[in-house]
Amino acid sequence: MLIQTTQLQKQVNTSEGILHILQPIDLQIAAGETVAIVGASGSGKSTLLSLLAGLDLASSGDVIIDNVKLSDLDEEQRAKLRADKVGFIFQSFLLIPSLTALENVMLPAELAGRKDAEQQARELLAKVGLAERLQHYPNQLSGGEQQRVAIARAFVGTPKILFADEPTGNLDSVTGNKVEDLLFEMNQASGTTLVMVTHDAELAQRCQRVLRMDGGQLTEETRDVA
Amino acid sequence: MWRRISWRLLKQELKRGELTIMAAAIVLSVTAVLSLSVFTERLQAGLTARSAEFLAADRVLSSRREVPTEWLQQAQQENLQYAHRVVFNSMAFAQDQLALIDVKAVSEGYPLRGELRIAEQPFGQDRIAEGLPGAGEAWVAAALFQELDLQLGDAIEVGNKQFTVTQVLSYEPDVGFSVFTDSPNVLIRYQELAETGLIQQGSRVRYNILYAGESDDLQRYQDWLLPQLSDATHSWRSVEDGDSPLARSLRRAERFMLLASLLGVVLAATAVAVAAQRYCQRNYDVVAIFKTLGASKPQIQAVFVTHLLLLTLFSIAVGMALGWLLQAAVIYFVAEYLGTTLPQAGWQPYVLAGGTGLVSAVMFTLYPLLRLVQIPPLRVLNRQLTGTDSLRWLHWLASGGTIFALLLLYSQQWLLSLALFVGGAIAAVVLLTVGRLFIRASRQAGMQAGSAWRLAMAGLQRRAQANSVQMLSFTTAIMLLLLVLALRDDLLADWQAQLPDDAPNYFVINIAPGDVDSLQQDFTERDIVSTDLYPIVPGRMTAVNGVPVIDEVTKEDDQSAQAQTQERREGFGRELSLTWRDSLPPNNTVIEGAWFDAQTGPQVSIESEVAERMRLNVGDVLEFNIGGNVFTTPVTSIREVEWGSLQPNFYMIFNSQTLADFPATYISSFRLEAERKNELFELFRPYPQVSLIDLDAIMMQLREVISQVSLAIGFVLVLVLIAGILVLLAQVQASMEEREKELVILRTLGAPAALLSRSVTYEFVILGAISGLIATLAMEAALYILQVQVFDMSASIHWRFWLLGPAAGAIVVGVMGRLACAQLIRRNTAQLIRGLA
Repeated sequence: MLIQTTQLQKQVNTSEGILHILQPIDLQIAAGETVAIVGASGSGKSTLLSLLAGLDLASSGDVIIDNVKLSDLDEEQRAKLRADKVGFIFQSFLLIPSLTALENVMLPAELAGRKDAEQQARELLAKVGLAERLQHYPNQLSGGEQQRVAIARAFVGTPKILFADEPTGNLDSVTGNKVEDLLFEMNQASGTTLVMVTHDAELAQRCQRVLRMDGGQLTEETRDVA
Repeated sequence: MWRRISWRLLKQELKRGELTIMAAAIVLSVTAVLSLSVFTERLQAGLTARSAEFLAADRVLSSRREVPTEWLQQAQQENLQYAHRVVFNSMAFAQDQLALIDVKAVSEGYPLRGELRIAEQPFGQDRIAEGLPGAGEAWVAAALFQELDLQLGDAIEVGNKQFTVTQVLSYEPDVGFSVFTDSPNVLIRYQELAETGLIQQGSRVRYNILYAGESDDLQRYQDWLLPQLSDATHSWRSVEDGDSPLARSLRRAERFMLLASLLGVVLAATAVAVAAQRYCQRNYDVVAIFKTLGASKPQIQAVFVTHLLLLTLFSIAVGMALGWLLQAAVIYFVAEYLGTTLPQAGWQPYVLAGGTGLVSAVMFTLYPLLRLVQIPPLRVLNRQLTGTDSLRWLHWLASGGTIFALLLLYSQQWLLSLALFVGGAIAAVVLLTVGRLFIRASRQAGMQAGSAWRLAMAGLQRRAQANSVQMLSFTTAIMLLLLVLALRDDLLADWQAQLPDDAPNYFVINIAPGDVDSLQQDFTERDIVSTDLYPIVPGRMTAVNGVPVIDEVTKEDDQSAQAQTQERREGFGRELSLTWRDSLPPNNTVIEGAWFDAQTGPQVSIESEVAERMRLNVGDVLEFNIGGNVFTTPVTSIREVEWGSLQPNFYMIFNSQTLADFPATYISSFRLEAERKNELFELFRPYPQVSLIDLDAIMMQLREVISQVSLAIGFVLVLVLIAGILVLLAQVQASMEEREKELVILRTLGAPAALLSRSVTYEFVILGAISGLIATLAMEAALYILQVQVFDMSASIHWRFWLLGPAAGAIVVGVMGRLACAQLIRRNTAQLIRGLA
């Protein structure tokens, strides 16, 4: 298993007592799988994503990624793990406004110390159809274009896992569809494991597995495999 | 790698103007410090050089005996120039007449500073003298030409030697202001002094050595020499000593410049602090993204430290260039305006300026930067997260320490820095408290008002914490501005009062009692404005409370004199000009005792500094000797005298009945325009015994110095003003960011732009007005202390600032807030929402 959780829990102290955001969760995701996590707002799906990606720490239980227990790592080691194995796509793109499209895509590879960062970034931007816009800054790009830059950035350094948080949430449906197509296309080509949080049922259906979060509890939706 | 990334970030951020405030703050602090310190240094060097002219040297050693030759050899070793100047009273004979003169024998090189001016006829057109009188020649003051009816080429006998009068001595740089006791000068060569035979054991002679040279050399020499001097025999003078109006003006100007520059530096540093905080806040998201993408803390630190360092260095370079240009422009303007060039400054100002920029950038970003690297990666999903706040104490420590370090670095005075710092800290706490109270009070008042007001009040209240900090910087900025402005006005007014355009420029002395009426009539006929005529009776003060004073004429061997100095007061060593008068003269203030009452019996009023020096109090009984008549008089009052007023001023004033019966001459001062100078000869021809002293040259120098200083002060004011505005701007910008979210929500809910912009404007207007009011209060308090403690001025209340402060605060802060808000509202809502997502 590439990603595995055991009895993963998250709770926070509030003025009204302890709030259980995640009930104990056991989950296995194999390498190369595409998984959608769906659910209503506040159901805990983003929290799960942040725990899986090592952005946040669980209250109890474990996340094991590629045979490494995240709870054994400190913040620095988790960052190193993300640099080596993980890519991200966010709803609000989260590009760095003062870097060009090319520089934004190069950034993770550079942080990981790869020599071919620029080469890779150029190829990926060409793949997402932005070969002509390498030197544009995020504010000179449309929403769809920005998300394509973000997709290129997610794939730079060929991560084993890609986490996507509502990747089309800020886009209109036409642009959103194009971005979805691109995402799945590239994912398939590279064989990356995709874990995607969305409330878009249609988008979720394009994944091999759909997990539903409800009140902090995770259930797997069974469905016919075509 | 991080260098590349930092550079990329910096390039674009600079281009887009995101770092403008931060860069501008650093640029400004460097510019301000550099131009101020270069300018001050050059101006000071110029002023010192100018003032040295009044001494005719950089330092003067005055001695009652001849100075040992090793002292002169030592001066030579220290690369100092020196010259002899020996001064004593004597008589001169010419045309079968006799006159009291001051002989001044000088050696080659005199004057070491300033210039000697001579003319072909009394009060005629003069020129700079090159060199000294030739062998057997004497240059003689104009007054003596009148007194002895001299012509150029006539012979004049001084002691055993006969001199030929070859020039009229028109201006000596070191003649000073002491016009009452001096007889007309006769200038001869030092080498010929012995031939006069006038210097004998016991003669009352002042041996002066004039020194000039580099300040380091002078300092070394001074350190070597001072321990060898004895108080009874020697005195050592530099430009800064003494009570000449010039020295006072200079000291005040220096203190003002120092203080204003310090405030400017603090303001600029505050702007850096505000901007640094904002800089880091803007980068919270970037750090979160970096961390999510796998950047380690050291990597992030490296990126941002490099980023900031690049920005700082860039800004420092720009600041240096600007600062240099600015001071060059001002110096050029000064030179144009005053027709003088100022000496170059050393390298220290550049180090100081660069250091200030670097220190304030590093220290003020320390905490925000620490906080920045603590930003959790989870912020990419939850934008509320801002990391820990636990190191806040470090921020206060670093900021406080930096401000203190800057104060110290700049003033190099522990006490002043500490006083300003502690005063500032106390003021800050008071301001924070008062500010919060004000906000609370205004909230209650605002509840009844219309809706834009209500929104504004609600906003003020909600952001009370942030607002009181903001108000602190508004208040500080406004207060410092008002302070510098008020202080400048007071200083200038003070100088102007000392040297009004119609200040007397001639002293006339030795007026016979019989000539008083006709001279006054002549003045009136020629429409010449003169001061009152004061009688002068020469006399000695011989004892205090029955104990004789030590006097030069009392020939004693030095050991006993020194031994007795402890108990006995040192006298003046010369005859004093005593006067009598029943009313208090203008520019005099009684500070102890009371001015003469109608009560009979002798009474004397003494000048405060003499009283202090000779440890005299009201009630002490002084003994005087006037032409052999010895009498005693109780001190009934002590007066403070404006020595700069260029009017006849006196150490001792008696009531009329005490002195009226003694023979007296009279003194007066009057004003005559330069173009009417030729009337002087005619005017005074009927009064041959009268001596005239021309103060024009000295006054011109004074005016020049004062206009240089005023110019400098204006310049400082502008810089402080810019610094203040920058702080306000940075603060408004920073607070606008906090407001952004709220504005977006209100806008999205359909609040009309006009309402929002009005409510924001009101909020800033209230903040500005409150800040302005508190600033005025604080300014008055600070000014009171400064005027009394630092500037030796009388304190005053500045009513117009009570209106100006709050009004200016409200307008400036309000306008800035409105502009910043308008910018925000102009962007469309969707864009704003996306920005906040």
